[in-house]
Amino acid sequence: MPDRPRKTDVLVIGGGPAGLAAAASAAEAGARVLLVDRNRKLGGILNQCIHDGFGLHTFGEVLTGPEFAAHYVNKVLEAGVEVYTDTLVAGISAGGDVILTSFGSRWGIRAGAVVLAMGCRERTRGMIRIPGTRPAGVYTAGTAQWLTNMANIRVGNRIVILGSGDIGLIMARRLRWEGADVVAVIELLPYPSGLPRNITQCLDDYDIPLYLSHSVTEIHGRDRLEGVTVARYDDSRRPIPGTEFRIECDTLLLSVGLIPENELSRRGGVDIDRVTLGPRVDDRYVTSVDGVFACGNVLHIHDIADWAADEGTRAGRTAADYALGRVDRHRERIPVEAREGIRYVVPQSVDRTAGDALLSFRVREPGEDKVVTVKAGGDPIASERFRRVHPATMIQLSLPLKLPRDVDRLEVSLS
Amino acid sequence: MANRDGRDFDVVIIGAGVVGSAIARYLSRYDCSVAVVEKGSDVGGGASSRNSGVIHAGINSKPGTLRARFCMEGRRLLIDWCDQMNVPYEICGKLVVARREEEIPGLERLKRDGEENGVPDLRIISGDEAARLQPGIRCVAALHVPSSGIVSPYALTIALAEDAAVNGVVFFLDNRVEGIEPGEECFVVRTDKGILRGRWLINSAGIHAGEIARLIDPEAPPLYPCVGEYLILDRLVGERISMSVYPAPRVDNAGLGVHITPTTEGNVLLGPSNEYVADPEESRSTRPTMKRLLKEVRVMWPDVPESLVIGAYAGVRAKLTPPDAGGFGDYIIRRTPAYPRAIQLIGIESPGLTAAPAIARYVIDDIVRTEEPFEPKPDRAIAIRRWPRRFDELPEEEKQRLVSEDPDYGEIVCRCEGVTKHEVLHALRNPLGVKTLAGIKFRSRVTMGRCNGGYCLPRIVDMLQKEGGWTSDSFVLRGPSSPLFVGRVVEGEDA
Amino acid sequence: MTERRITCILCPNGCVLDVTYSGEPTEETISVVGNLCPRGISYALEELIRPKRTLTTSVLVIGGEEPLVSAKTASPIPRSKIDEARRELLRVVVEAPVAIGDLIAKDIAGTGVDVIATRGVGRV
Repeated sequence: MPDRPRKTDVLVIGGGPAGLAAAASAAEAGARVLLVDRNRKLGGILNQCIHDGFGLHTFGEVLTGPEFAAHYVNKVLEAGVEVYTDTLVAGISAGGDVILTSFGSRWGIRAGAVVLAMGCRERTRGMIRIPGTRPAGVYTAGTAQWLTNMANIRVGNRIVILGSGDIGLIMARRLRWEGADVVAVIELLPYPSGLPRNITQCLDDYDIPLYLSHSVTEIHGRDRLEGVTVARYDDSRRPIPGTEFRIECDTLLLSVGLIPENELSRRGGVDIDRVTLGPRVDDRYVTSVDGVFACGNVLHIHDIADWAADEGTRAGRTAADYALGRVDRHRERIPVEAREGIRYVVPQSVDRTAGDALLSFRVREPGEDKVVTVKAGGDPIASERFRRVHPATMIQLSLPLKLPRDVDRLEVSLS
Repeated sequence: MANRDGRDFDVVIIGAGVVGSAIARYLSRYDCSVAVVEKGSDVGGGASSRNSGVIHAGINSKPGTLRARFCMEGRRLLIDWCDQMNVPYEICGKLVVARREEEIPGLERLKRDGEENGVPDLRIISGDEAARLQPGIRCVAALHVPSSGIVSPYALTIALAEDAAVNGVVFFLDNRVEGIEPGEECFVVRTDKGILRGRWLINSAGIHAGEIARLIDPEAPPLYPCVGEYLILDRLVGERISMSVYPAPRVDNAGLGVHITPTTEGNVLLGPSNEYVADPEESRSTRPTMKRLLKEVRVMWPDVPESLVIGAYAGVRAKLTPPDAGGFGDYIIRRTPAYPRAIQLIGIESPGLTAAPAIARYVIDDIVRTEEPFEPKPDRAIAIRRWPRRFDELPEEEKQRLVSEDPDYGEIVCRCEGVTKHEVLHALRNPLGVKTLAGIKFRSRVTMGRCNGGYCLPRIVDMLQKEGGWTSDSFVLRGPSSPLFVGRVVEGEDA
Repeated sequence: MTERRITCILCPNGCVLDVTYSGEPTEETISVVGNLCPRGISYALEELIRPKRTLTTSVLVIGGEEPLVSAKTASPIPRSKIDEARRELLRVVVEAPVAIGDLIAKDIAGTGVDVIATRGVGRV
């Protein structure tokens, strides 16, 4: 049995953009860091994202997913992080005891701080309850992306994509580039969810029709998919009778939402926020369990890997400070609440003595010429105007916090 | 019987559902040659894997019927067989709840029928006591049925068939029966792949039993396909539901009403619905029914967590009673008048799973062996095939020990269900030679979790392509007509 | 006067550009509104005259830990050449090991632009 470490300062779970950045920054802050990832190679989802658009914010270059990951992998290795790939966290307890499992090994380790960076999974057909048969040929877009880009597998010849988020749009182009007939992209909302640049370079460039305010009402084909029925939906998200039409296809890709993957967090006793479906954290990214931190898509779904990585950089630093006993563990937290027009805010609480805070949030509806206001105890302490806001585009506000003693909450609202 | 070309058998069974597989296993304890013909690429592909997975206590079967008799005898045998084979089951009890006062007489009727059938410990309890036994349930009164239980229906069917296989039964999968020629010595069964000959013929073809019977018996009764849709809830919900909850019966019901059933794996099932359809192969979920399932469950369980639905499926019952009649017809288990060595089993619906072992015993001991007394094999000649223990359920020390003995236990392939590489490989080495994704799924639980294969499908594909020599066209969902992929992205000369 | 609305694809901002010009679009004749940075103006002109795209795709690997390596055109190539570039790349086979930045194909589809690896693939 090879020598496995039994203790470490910071254990980072997940080697995607957030986990890589967290591991690197924790090590740079002086902690002994162990990074585990269940795949053979570090990089997480970035390895299969062979399209470009990454890194503009962080490196000033337009990179593909693997190239962006490589930058962080180098940082991780240079910072002396111990890396265990092909390793899954099988269990976690509130005291910092973690069980790791890998080919031929299953062992326990105790960490001074744990950083959750497990990322997310995709919403499935079963969860959105699409009626019909259960044939082969229905895939979530991310799984289809893996099959296409990593396993050299062609998933189908005639493709319909449900959901106009970026993953669906990127896959529309990818499959078109690999010779498939991409027949349509179907979107329930009256506006596309993905970036406008992806509408242009994935759909418009190839004349792939986009049906807004539509969704799939039935799946056909007993053994292999034969077609889908599509209908127009009303404002209450119900199909309008009489608007149904059938599209013949052999493959349906689902790009209908990402869900932070918090099974492990739940087992570790971490409180999960009902809106973000990620852990509730404070301004240091500490969850409801002392010593357990969260960052990246496991905390809340990001649009841009650069921002997930940045969040990891911040969480790695605070996790290292915690593990090395550099910070006062006592905190006076006040809640940060989402009000009119705002769907959620992360972090969900801040320490009233913190000098500043970075708030990430999303609006409920698209809009133009809007003002975001942050109030402390009813008084505005920050506001910013935005020409365009969209639920698919996360907004971040950095604000100084010099809060009077009687402030008991922060509120973020849109007007 | 002299086996001329490997195609002669003492007994040929048509249909490898739970009944056919139970009969096969039962026969495999006797010195005789047995073949099972199955149109699917695996066993249990029809109603056997798409039901509620219940070990019935015997309250729902009219006293004096074969259904009642085989239910009571079957459940004892079933529990014994599950213990032998390590198939997961649990006697968790059931509540039949009256949502309104007017439904209480229905509970009393069930209690009387049950007691007449020999069901023990039946009690009518108050709504409060019901809520103490099963928190979250709302009713005015309930019938508590402690001896009711749950079993994994697909594990049971596969375990029965694989046990039969390791004990000499030959399974002809992917063989669809097209004709039967009765002869002096034996029946010639013609399938789309070839022919088989059997002195005895047992028709346990489920939803297709009527058509198969009519190949040699024009008087065979028709079967009416009746769809039952289900919703599956996340295993998180399994922590809240510890016993089955059924609604009090309505006289016109063609089924047992929409009920709540925990599974041995920790999920919770809602269903089934009840719709007569024309096509026996029609198993699909429909929007109005999915809504109705939730609506009906909500009456008994107001806080049913809709957001935790992770899937849906539909099975087709083989009903003897036509749409306008509803209710249940009694099992038809009989020798064909013109050809007495052909035994027809028609209309085996609820409590079919529970009754299966008793039906097997009846068909073999009370029919076949009274005429042709095959000798029982000595115990030492019988291999018991055990359903594998799930790694995920073992204590931590044992997990560590297994990992150090077999490195494949260290690699977790399905994160939602905690399934290891060892278990997936074991599933692929099954004695029936099944290599479909559904076959791997039912034997190991991969892709049955909340992520529906999002995590494990890539891992399985990767593993089998790299280590197993599989290519893109090796992967099928349920059989040759359900390929998962259509080829490669970049073609190259094969390495 | 011709008016065109195009979305800049150079970065995730995806600025919506309103472009007007009379006669033929040239550096002198076009006027662009809506760009958050100067690259949007040159993008708009190029998009009108000779649209370009970066091709990102997979190339077959032999002897590697993975069957494919991801690759990209080192800079955008004319949109009209994308399909031809893809077809050429389908016939390219690289031998492991491959490192990020390795040359996969030179002067793809006669564009003068090289295709380079964007991921590393080790030898098996």
